[in-house]
Amino acid sequence: MSSQPTGGSRVSLKDVKKAFGNNVVLQGIDLEIPAGQFVSIVGKSGCGKSTLLRLMIGLDSVTSGVLDAPALKAQAARIVFQEPRLLPWASVKDNVAVGLGEGQSGQAADKQAADILEEVGLKGREGLWPSQLSGGMRQRVALARALVSQPTLLALDEPLGALDALTRIDMQALLEGVWQDLGFTALMVTHDVGEAVALGDRVILIDHGHVVLDLAVDLPRPRKRGTPEFAALEGQILDKLFGDDPRAREAH
Amino acid sequence: MAATASEGPFSRALPWLVPLALVILWQVSSSLGWLPPNILPAPTAVLEAAWTKLQDGSLIDNLGVSFARAMSGLIIGGAIGFSLGLLNGLSKTGEMLLDPTLQMIRNIPHLALIPLVIIWFGIGESARLFLVALGVFFPIYLNTLHGVRNVDPQLIEMGRIYGMNNRTLFLKVILPGALPSIFVGLRFALGVMWLTLIVAETIAANSGIGHMAMAAREFMQTDIVVLSIVIYAILGKLADSATRALERKFLAWNPAYAKV
Ligand SMILES: Nc1ncnc2c1ncn2[C@@H]1O[C@H](COP(=O)(O)OP(=O)(O)O)[C@@H](O)[C@H]1O
Ligand SMILES: [Mg+2]
Repeated sequence: MSSQPTGGSRVSLKDVKKAFGNNVVLQGIDLEIPAGQFVSIVGKSGCGKSTLLRLMIGLDSVTSGVLDAPALKAQAARIVFQEPRLLPWASVKDNVAVGLGEGQSGQAADKQAADILEEVGLKGREGLWPSQLSGGMRQRVALARALVSQPTLLALDEPLGALDALTRIDMQALLEGVWQDLGFTALMVTHDVGEAVALGDRVILIDHGHVVLDLAVDLPRPRKRGTPEFAALEGQILDKLFGDDPRAREAH
Repeated sequence: MAATASEGPFSRALPWLVPLALVILWQVSSSLGWLPPNILPAPTAVLEAAWTKLQDGSLIDNLGVSFARAMSGLIIGGAIGFSLGLLNGLSKTGEMLLDPTLQMIRNIPHLALIPLVIIWFGIGESARLFLVALGVFFPIYLNTLHGVRNVDPQLIEMGRIYGMNNRTLFLKVILPGALPSIFVGLRFALGVMWLTLIVAETIAANSGIGHMAMAAREFMQTDIVVLSIVIYAILGKLADSATRALERKFLAWNPAYAKV
């Protein structure tokens, strides 16, 4: 791979609370995330996952408590959304260049953009419009745009949520590969428990604004789904998510 | 439409078949005397009139005058409409201050102002310019405003997250996002532009295609009257084609415009 490792940076939250007016969305959040870790965040819809991500990369500020993340001071935190949010009128290359920020052009910038496009498997597609790409490829462009400035902290808010099942599997492997190559700290929200276990060093489950489960995933990569260890971890998370309601589990 | 037989010389000739048949029918009717020339002259007579007017130079002169009027009106009215559309699209205060008034004025058909405009400006050049500019103002204003207002807010948030300043955000996100709508406004404006010019030149002018037609009417020169109508049609078509070419160039990223 042609991109150089960037390394990761730690994130620490102490008794963090976030409220919008009277609506307390997160409360009593204590987390220590070491540099370079891949953290999966799961939870029911509306439980505050996106809010937690936005806090950790500085898009929102905490109501009380302490958030310490060196990446924020260094402006080295980036986010990928579920929708790629590409400029439809800009080529793949120009979309990635958006990630370099103001006034970054010239040979060094071109090289960085070319390297990251190769890293996400889009070499040779620099000149295409987003409308000429599949959903998976568009999300790769969004990933490249987020990574081109070599962030040490990357938030991903249901990044594969809009993709079909086969593309998801592809993209999970890509994401894991890129993360292993570059070494940034990854914070990924997902509604797919299998995906959370497949990619995370650690799975955090949020419920009603609290961290109710913080589970280390100690399986060798790349992980095989369907092994007893994998299934046991999935089961543990689902139990906590749905309690003992068997119908809800079936539905999942 | 795209998937059916769109290739080959036959399908390319297809749209021209009916117009061609009509012209032939017209010519035959004239030649056989079914259509008296004082009602409708033969196509050949119109061509002859075109040739005569070309040779004495008056066709080119009148064409030039009409074209210059159309373009000056478009540029003046379009520039004001575009600027106000941007201003009100970008600034809530601007919109609250100006938009309700403009929406009210919009309901007055601008051609209804002709008597008043003649009183204000006489029948000089400024009267026609004013009418054309006023006519093109509204479609450009409304569509620019609509375009700016409807730029995807998620893209704007993305731009902010990536640290774009206001100028970059405008140039890279808002303006390109509003462009398809601005082009819709331009197309509308071109239609209004020719219509206004025809009316203005027909009612009050001493040069231009409309004046050429009215002068010919006095001498019952139907060939020149028809020639004027044909020229207006050609000018309208040319303006439309030019807009399409611009759309293809600037909106190539949009699959809806990539192949028109
Ligand atoms: N900007 C905001 N203003 C007010 N309330 C918000 C805002 N963002 C999120 N919320 C509220 O916070 C709660 C959690 O939202 P979110 O973090 O998006 O949930 P999730 O991503 O887990 O589905 C919701 O009740 C939502 O209404
Ligand atoms: Mg969310």
